Amino acid sequence: MSRKLLLEKAHVENIRLYDVYRREGGYRSVEKAFKMAPADIVEEVKKSGLRGRGGAGFPTGLKWSFIAKPEGVPRHLVVNADESEPGTFKDRYLMEFIPHILIEGMIVSSFALGSNVSYIYIRGEYHWIVDILEQAIAEAKHHGFLGKNILGSGFDCEIYVHRGAGAYICGEETALIESLEGKRGNPRIKPPFPAVKGAWERPTVVNNVETIAAVVPIINDGGEEYAKIGVGKSTGTKLMSACGNLNKPGVYEIDMTISVEEFIFSDEYCGGIPNGRKLKACIPGGSSVPILPANLLLTTAKGEKRLMNYESLSDGGFATGSMMGSGGFIVLDDNQCVVKHTYTLARFYRHESCGQCSPCREGTGWMEKILLNIENGKGKLSDIDLLWDIQRKIEGNTICPLGDAAAWPVAAAIRHFRDEFEWHVKNPVECLTSNYGLAHYADPIHIPVVA
Amino acid sequence: MSVEFSKEKLAEVAEIVKRYPEGRHKSALLPVLHMAQQEFGGWLDVPVMDYVASVLKIEPIEVYEVASFYSMFNLSPVGKYMFEVCQTGPCMINGSDNIIAYIKEKLNIGVGETTADGMFTLKTVECLGACGYAPMMQLGKHYREHLTKEKVDAIIEECRAKAN
Repeated sequence: MSRKLLLEKAHVENIRLYDVYRREGGYRSVEKAFKMAPADIVEEVKKSGLRGRGGAGFPTGLKWSFIAKPEGVPRHLVVNADESEPGTFKDRYLMEFIPHILIEGMIVSSFALGSNVSYIYIRGEYHWIVDILEQAIAEAKHHGFLGKNILGSGFDCEIYVHRGAGAYICGEETALIESLEGKRGNPRIKPPFPAVKGAWERPTVVNNVETIAAVVPIINDGGEEYAKIGVGKSTGTKLMSACGNLNKPGVYEIDMTISVEEFIFSDEYCGGIPNGRKLKACIPGGSSVPILPANLLLTTAKGEKRLMNYESLSDGGFATGSMMGSGGFIVLDDNQCVVKHTYTLARFYRHESCGQCSPCREGTGWMEKILLNIENGKGKLSDIDLLWDIQRKIEGNTICPLGDAAAWPVAAAIRHFRDEFEWHVKNPVECLTSNYGLAHYADPIHIPVVA
Repeated sequence: MSVEFSKEKLAEVAEIVKRYPEGRHKSALLPVLHMAQQEFGGWLDVPVMDYVASVLKIEPIEVYEVASFYSMFNLSPVGKYMFEVCQTGPCMINGSDNIIAYIKEKLNIGVGETTADGMFTLKTVECLGACGYAPMMQLGKHYREHLTKEKVDAIIEECRAKAN
């Protein structure tokens, strides 16, 4: 049983309410933090090894240490609750069931960063969660944890919820800042980085919901204690949102030492594949990260059991590995078609491209059209090479990572499932009513023997 | 319909503007557009956008470019109830295609269309963050999850009952 740091109390009755949350030990980290110097809080977070939980996995303490502190210029913390990566619904769960842990983490983080006005940028579709968060904020304020001179510390802090309006790109931090400023969500060219010039040209730190919530156990137990959980540079716990063909889809808090196999098949987690079907493929970290066939998902190319952490999931690079990403874990059984699934993702990225950079604006639509043709039995073999060529020309050639995010799923699908694409082209009628099935995707992988 | 917020709504706008630094009232544009869409018939007609521009003291073009960027802002009329059905990967795996086909058949409309009585609009959307509870749709403020044909029937009935 994994140790839970964020969701341990998520199912205590009425934990959404301040009184219950406080009774269960909530807001202790704020009391502790105000006895520390802001720089020491940043140090604790550095020691914890916490990595950004939004997808990039950048060390949080390091990100915080970059914030510029020009005299007389206000700084801001902005929480990224724009959760829009297909497969990802963990932040929603956390905010919906235990909103106070986010508010608590924000107060501590705001104090550490010197942010007197902090914002939660939430995706527009999570409309009902805005009410939940605003109630939690009002309760925290009523009990003296927000507002002027919090707990007599001399520190003032207000938190506001800013609701987006339907744009995946606003999860990218500079696009999020543009959107917060009331503009289209067009990512900015970096540098300057938000830590120097962010919202309203002020130093700004943008962190994911889960990242900020993790600050609470880090301050309560100390960074070193937090770092003891997990393995290597994957410290602490991670929220995984599991979906697709699973008996028990949902949000799980894991300690990053368990294997992928255990996560999918054990009853403690996803409970295996329904209807007696077999595991065919999986996207382990949100739609942007490479899809892996069952054999490479469960075992690395070195023949080791793959684990649910940053290092192991990316073991082998993009040739044979994937990424932890946002923790959006999408499972496909042997009745799923990788071509069709990839098509829906290509359509997603075309829909969400902001249109600033031509490789992404034009390339995403082009890939979508080709994939739809192949899916409908109207593709040519040369289309597969063309797709490969297009994704190569998007990757790395755009202002923001959406271009890469659109390129990688197509690249990985072709890399690992090329014969399924070819089958579609060669069987244009059959592919309309049946699919390629499991094929060889779960076969044991050939491990080269060292002489 | 006159395009003007009530006194209460204008006070709400003033409160929202205060959340942002002084002189940065444009930051309130997304929240105020949400309010306007809700107040003025579920979509943003040009006079509505012009009104929002005047309330926030910004140029109309600044409102148009934002309203046309975000998928939740409707630039043409929609029905009283909008079924926004997710069709991205994880929902597709769990049968969203069948749900969309069923709604089309049941309401006799295509994607992007509104029923003749102005009651229902069907829209397909990309990932709403409910992948573990697929297939799903957004209906107003809330999500409807684990959709089946029976659930769709019940939702349609529920909307009709509410409208009467």
